[in-house]
Amino acid sequence: MHETQETLATQPTSARKKPNYEILAAQLDEIKADIKQKVGAEDAAYIRRIIFIQRICEWSGRILLMLGFLQPLLWVAGVLSLATAKILDNMEIGHNVMHGQYDWMNDKHINSKGYEWDIACDGASWNRVHNYEHHTYTNIIGKDRDFGYGLLRLSNDFRWRVKNLWQFATYIVLSVLFQWGVSYHEMAAERVFFGKKKDNRKNQVTHNELKKRFFSKGARQLVKDYVLFPLIAGPLFLWVFAGNLIANLLRNLWTSTIIFCGHFTGDVETFKEEDCKNESRGQWYYRQALGSSNIKGGNLFHVLTGHLSFQIEHHLFPDIPARRYREMAPKVQAVFKQHGMHYNTGGFLKQYASVLKRIIRYSFP
Amino acid sequence: MRLLLDKFTDRIFHHGSWKGYWEVLMQQIKPAWRDGYFRARVVTVKNLNTHILEVVLEPDSSWPTHAAGQHIALTIELNGRLTTRVFTIASGANTHQRDKQIRLVTKVKAQGALTPYLHTCVPNQWVNISAPMGEFVWPQTEKPLLMIAGGSGITPFIAMLDDAINNAQVNQKAVHLLYFAKPNEHVLLEELSTFSKRCESFTYDTLTKQRDGDVEAHLSYFADAHWLVCGPHAMFEQVETYAKTISAPVSSEHFAALPVVSHTSLTESETFSLVHNGQSLTIDNQQTLLLQLQQAEQPVTYGCGMGICHQCQCVKKRGVVRDTRTGELSDSAEQLIQLCVSQAVTDVEIQL
Ligand code: FES
Repeated sequence: MHETQETLATQPTSARKKPNYEILAAQLDEIKADIKQKVGAEDAAYIRRIIFIQRICEWSGRILLMLGFLQPLLWVAGVLSLATAKILDNMEIGHNVMHGQYDWMNDKHINSKGYEWDIACDGASWNRVHNYEHHTYTNIIGKDRDFGYGLLRLSNDFRWRVKNLWQFATYIVLSVLFQWGVSYHEMAAERVFFGKKKDNRKNQVTHNELKKRFFSKGARQLVKDYVLFPLIAGPLFLWVFAGNLIANLLRNLWTSTIIFCGHFTGDVETFKEEDCKNESRGQWYYRQALGSSNIKGGNLFHVLTGHLSFQIEHHLFPDIPARRYREMAPKVQAVFKQHGMHYNTGGFLKQYASVLKRIIRYSFP
Repeated sequence: MRLLLDKFTDRIFHHGSWKGYWEVLMQQIKPAWRDGYFRARVVTVKNLNTHILEVVLEPDSSWPTHAAGQHIALTIELNGRLTTRVFTIASGANTHQRDKQIRLVTKVKAQGALTPYLHTCVPNQWVNISAPMGEFVWPQTEKPLLMIAGGSGITPFIAMLDDAINNAQVNQKAVHLLYFAKPNEHVLLEELSTFSKRCESFTYDTLTKQRDGDVEAHLSYFADAHWLVCGPHAMFEQVETYAKTISAPVSSEHFAALPVVSHTSLTESETFSLVHNGQSLTIDNQQTLLLQLQQAEQPVTYGCGMGICHQCQCVKKRGVVRDTRTGELSDSAEQLIQLCVSQAVTDVEIQL
């Protein structure tokens, strides 16, 4: 996995129409303060309810998988149930809790320091790259290593290379193995295994520690889904093995798709390193806003995306309990409109098509 | 077994503890069932006077009985947030064994994080408590005892007397109580009078500073006794200074009044102490905790430095901090804080 992040700066950022940053910041701060006041018992009850549902889905899934020999449909239900559990765990619980959205509850099992999720990626490692880098330097080419993950060329900021010709296939592979991609991400970015080291990065964790965590968390996941639970099933080893494999695959495809729709739709903009030098709060908001896109959908859809269907609101207010984004979205949209800023939203199919188009478009020089 | 299960849960379900993994499920059946806490059922909540509240709790049977004089941490979910405060148990171990109940008697602090909401607890509601803790108990001594109570500092003495009189410990020696409070704010007087009726060697005085002067004025009569003092910090200091001059033995428990925080004080630079991992550092209220830890070259984890990423988060054990983004003041009890957006408003203790 090689990454190329030389900035060619072909899109002059100055060409964009700029809002009044101070007013923008004040308006968005107000929306945030308003919601913060409301956050309380309801939100605590909500996250506990989701954790409750997650546990139920996980265990009914694991049990149903073992009943597949009675009736294969039970096995199918088991796969879906387990996949749902994993999706809830990763998106609505893990992602949001690890963003600190529920830290105010003072509950040691529901806070950003303590939470570990059901995915190959070590929570602390994800926290560093995602919460810190990606959310601070959103879409700044060269600083936000989430833009294209060093694998895909998604804008003219990157020089075209021959490997980009087949980047659609790369994208499919990435989606299928998404949890491993996420897990490998920090190490790839830090060039733990090979490649030159960037010296402008401060390393808070040693490479050995990174490797240790990568292998230990990954191994535990593999053992759980492909050794332990299949073994418990005894003669039904293969049923459970295959069920777990498919559940993980469904979760991978789902999360990858949602995340791509939140970040790489056609209209999403990129920024340059200068853009975040001495950046004001308003400028930071502005960058968050134009670097993300939303997906319209129903209640269940939003829950299953961990409310990342409100990616814009999530990037503006990463530590507000995600279910509140629904109330905030219309207000945010109104503010954007007032400043003539594009509020990137659309139905799932429209957004996804635009992602695919982007991947294909930048396959070529 | 428990350890094994915890290890298993950690490896396989990535959850620190077995009990924690099932917590939310169990709570559907047993409200307030929580890893690391005991449960207790609220029996009654009533006002003893305008400032003092009595809460009777029935802990689960797994709760280890306290020794009279000890305290517990009480945790209640207030608007979704687990809020914890420490209270002395104002009843003896005998009473707990007999009735399965314990009693807390506390002053309601208007600005407090927990006490103003205590009266909203309803009978049969479940709350969390810690195991009993504290060393302030009936002393092993041949000497007569002098108990010195200030305000709600009466509570451990009530518990001790409850047990001592039941066990007839008091008959063997003279016990005298000096009970200071503001005029008309003495509580549990009926109980004190019952104690003294039941047991001749127990006597007490209810005193007010205005009428009877400072505590010092009364101490010289009890030079040969073992002193027990529980009350506000100022009172404790007076007693301790006096005890030194006549080398009287003292056991004590004192509560520092909650730091008074005024917003205006932030414009002037003030210095505080920051205790972290057993080390102490002098800091000011102008810069964030993160910056000052960095300047002191302490190992801290951080990321964005602007309150987004939560990398710099740590547990604040005590003290009040101010959120530099909103100006909001924290609770004074244990809480998670982000170092990069927190300034000290009082002395602070954190765990890195
Ligand atoms: S360093 Fe990012 S929240 Fe404090």
